[in-house]
Amino acid sequence: MTDLNKLTLGQALEGIKTKKFTPRELVTDCLDQIKQLEPKLNAFVTVLGEEALAKTEKIDFSKPLAGIPVAVKDNFCTEGRRTTASSKLLDSYIAQYSSTFTRRLEEAGAIIIGKTNMDAWAHGSSTETSDYGPSRNPWNTDHLPGGSSGGSAVAVAADECTVAVGSETAGSIRQPAAWSGVVGFKPTYGRCSRYGTIAMKSSTDSPGPLAKTVDDAALILSIVSGNDPQDATCIDEGPWHMPDRLDSLRKIRIGIPLAYFPKEIQPAVRQAVMAAVEKFGQLGAEIVELTDVLDPKYSIAVYTILQRSEVSSNLSRFDGVRYGHDRSYFGQEAKRRILLGTYSLSAGYYDAYYLRAQKVRTLICQDFDRQFEKVDVIVGPTSPCTALPLGASEGQAMFGELQDMLLEPSSIAGLPGISLPCGFDDGGLPIGLQIVASQKREDLVYQVAKSFEDNTDYHLQRPKI
Amino acid sequence: MKKTSVQITAKDFDHIVNLARLTITPKDRSIAGQLAQAVQYVEVLDELDTSAVEPTFQVNHKKNIFRDDVVEISLSQDLALSQAPKKHNGYFVTAATIKK
Repeated sequence: MTDLNKLTLGQALEGIKTKKFTPRELVTDCLDQIKQLEPKLNAFVTVLGEEALAKTEKIDFSKPLAGIPVAVKDNFCTEGRRTTASSKLLDSYIAQYSSTFTRRLEEAGAIIIGKTNMDAWAHGSSTETSDYGPSRNPWNTDHLPGGSSGGSAVAVAADECTVAVGSETAGSIRQPAAWSGVVGFKPTYGRCSRYGTIAMKSSTDSPGPLAKTVDDAALILSIVSGNDPQDATCIDEGPWHMPDRLDSLRKIRIGIPLAYFPKEIQPAVRQAVMAAVEKFGQLGAEIVELTDVLDPKYSIAVYTILQRSEVSSNLSRFDGVRYGHDRSYFGQEAKRRILLGTYSLSAGYYDAYYLRAQKVRTLICQDFDRQFEKVDVIVGPTSPCTALPLGASEGQAMFGELQDMLLEPSSIAGLPGISLPCGFDDGGLPIGLQIVASQKREDLVYQVAKSFEDNTDYHLQRPKI
Repeated sequence: MKKTSVQITAKDFDHIVNLARLTITPKDRSIAGQLAQAVQYVEVLDELDTSAVEPTFQVNHKKNIFRDDVVEISLSQDLALSQAPKKHNGYFVTAATIKK
């Protein structure tokens, strides 16, 4: 067989189980694809080719992810392997331990084939702030893949891996998934351990999978989720279990927040998402217009303050004493964020900015509680537009905040959500549909997403690179 | 949205640069203006009445998680020091903070 790299996780597992091919053949095809496409796409900071091939010689076939090639965002510590967060400050850093998320993947038999590019320190929504150059969108290489988990989204979309790992603070899994035409599943805050991921905004950081199908993403989530004593903010539950798929959405109430369709939204995006809503109606769901959802502009402001504040605290550990270079190696985006955070936390401003933002966060959580009395899930566009051209983020201090305006509210409230492909614009760039549920209701997110995917073929289309 | 003009003076800017222990290049000074813009943007929060609202610092409502006070397995000294640019006799070497 050839082109094994194009298989979904489900197909790859089946092929290995039935001995149609070996993990070595699968890993080899992914590495060949990386070799061929990396000059165009720049999805990886580090490729672990030899190491990955060596691991295919020692496979325990009883494990649930035996021999599966996984691409990991470069802000997950991977023991004995370079981990840069796409910042030159950590250019030569070799992680001394593994994150819980990647440790669980490797313990389940997965093989890490490389570390993917991202906005440096996960500060951005374009992958353009990486110190290793931008990644490019496989659907049109003059366009951005989104971010910050842009490299992981590209690696999945371009079949450079079977499945990938990302992390989201406010959109960083779902937005690149939307722009790159793949599935991105952001779990409830605390569902997956943050231990060993380079901290950005600790109160919303949520690691999660990017994959070719809803089932693939859900399977990964079921393996890596669950309480971890190393992360005190983890939910006190064992691993999440994938629920049965639904034959019909008859008992599901789907909320459409009018505030998620701002006037700036790209017409093709509005059209594709409204067509998806119609599809949900055909599948039996009750569609409920939500007319009183809190304006996302407040979430942008809350996120801006809290993210900068937590960044200024989290990045204070990078002093060049224990690891990495000194603070002169921070790029301008990191400096900008550290400085705004330092300002909002400094004497005389704490009450006006940080404390006020935490209070508005309460209002955002309460607003979702009210909406979820009326509906089971909320559906809307993942991003107000399709992938923007390279250079779009440069010099835009609020670029990420505006791109992620429809994702920040659910991130701030710690809710689970998914983005999956729901169409293409005139230029052939993918459009993402987001589905959000209340805390710990990944089951509903999965069921509604799976139902949509089963009845559409957007996820089957691949970019021609 | 309230349209107040936020000023971050050069003195304010230098103060927060110092608090954040950053080095700033002449090009980075443009950040001062961007800070003022961002601060102005977030003033949209003034539109909401938060006088009777409690803050949410943590979304899954967990607090004060303790573990037993026992020694656990941790990084060996060699491994902990392995990434340090400067070390001496099994210690990290830091910049001097007290003048001789």
